[in-house]
Amino acid sequence: MPTYSMRRGTRRNERGFPLLVLACGILILGKIAFAQIYLPNAPPEPAEYGKVILDNHATAGPGAVVFDHWLHRSKFTCRVCHVDIGFAMEAKATGISASTNREGFHCGACHDGKRLFEGKPIFAACSDAANDKQCDRCHSLGKKGARKYEYKEFTAKLPKGIYGVNWEAAESSGVIKPVDFVEGLSVKMAKMQNRKDFSVEARYSWVHPINFSHEKHSIWNGCELCHPEIFPSAPKGTVHFSMFHNVEGQYCGACHGKVAFPLNNCRGCHQGGPLWAP
Amino acid sequence: MFKVKVRTKLKASIVALLLWTGLAGLCGVRALGEPQSPAAQADPARESWRKEFDDVCSKTQDAMTFSQEELTDLIRRCDALRPQIEKLDESRKKVYLGRLRMCRGLYAYVLDAKRNEKK
Repeated sequence: MPTYSMRRGTRRNERGFPLLVLACGILILGKIAFAQIYLPNAPPEPAEYGKVILDNHATAGPGAVVFDHWLHRSKFTCRVCHVDIGFAMEAKATGISASTNREGFHCGACHDGKRLFEGKPIFAACSDAANDKQCDRCHSLGKKGARKYEYKEFTAKLPKGIYGVNWEAAESSGVIKPVDFVEGLSVKMAKMQNRKDFSVEARYSWVHPINFSHEKHSIWNGCELCHPEIFPSAPKGTVHFSMFHNVEGQYCGACHGKVAFPLNNCRGCHQGGPLWAP
Repeated sequence: MFKVKVRTKLKASIVALLLWTGLAGLCGVRALGEPQSPAAQADPARESWRKEFDDVCSKTQDAMTFSQEELTDLIRRCDALRPQIEKLDESRKKVYLGRLRMCRGLYAYVLDAKRNEKK
């Protein structure tokens, strides 16, 4: 009998051990998955952040265009380019080409060789008269020294945050004055009625709430850049968006993690939260 | 004979004068305003669709202040503009249809939000 009992105990242990291993495995995998889903990957160097490579006709033409958001956002609001000029927020959705530029659309809306910015004419995009050096200024992928501006020198006088330039501080302090109107394309609008800021409570007690500033966002984006395409209409409390969505590029992740400060900067949104997620 | 010669000379002078005036006028126009890009040329005030577009889409910043009736009317005006913009050339159509979609979308969004508020 004792032998039998011992055998039963051993059998229980034999059954229990794999279950224990399985449970541990699930926990470890779950934690890894949680970390991968909820915590974004570390962003690239600030100079590379928001870099867009336009290679629609790279094989046939003068090479791919490198577009640095940091250069243009120091001069213009997001709204003027993504609403008035019509640059889509997704890759290859704009339909940009040399001919649309020459016709005065897309880059050519400003880069027409005539419009003045800070007293100087803005060089013409895709002009027939342009030489190779001029083409390379935009079609600069893999061409060392082709760009006119470098991040470090260009942003030297701009206020910095935990990650690169603090654009919000740069704008509010008046160091930069982003233009929100392009003559001939933009529509004259009244100054926006001040939208109320609001707080978003997190679902988990250990996550700090978000104090969302409509004012700060609308300076750059207006209304129609965010509503309804990024944040659609829904009865209050029915939409539960999470870091999972953001990391996937939805909601806040449509800009944060691509151009606006990275999602790793927890305290940028979650007041009182950790400064930076690894 | 003399009269005929004078008349012929006079006619030639008038024609020459008219030609010069026309040429000078053309040069003057070129000198006064530099040629604009097709996108800018396409936007003179005389284009009725553009006037309407500017009027409808210039109110997005105030969307929250409008009543449901006003918002419904703005959406209707956006819908009426769409077929006109669809007739434009490819580049302008793409840009302005995108802008119209955003503009209409915002009014519909605010209208929806207002309806949800009332529920």
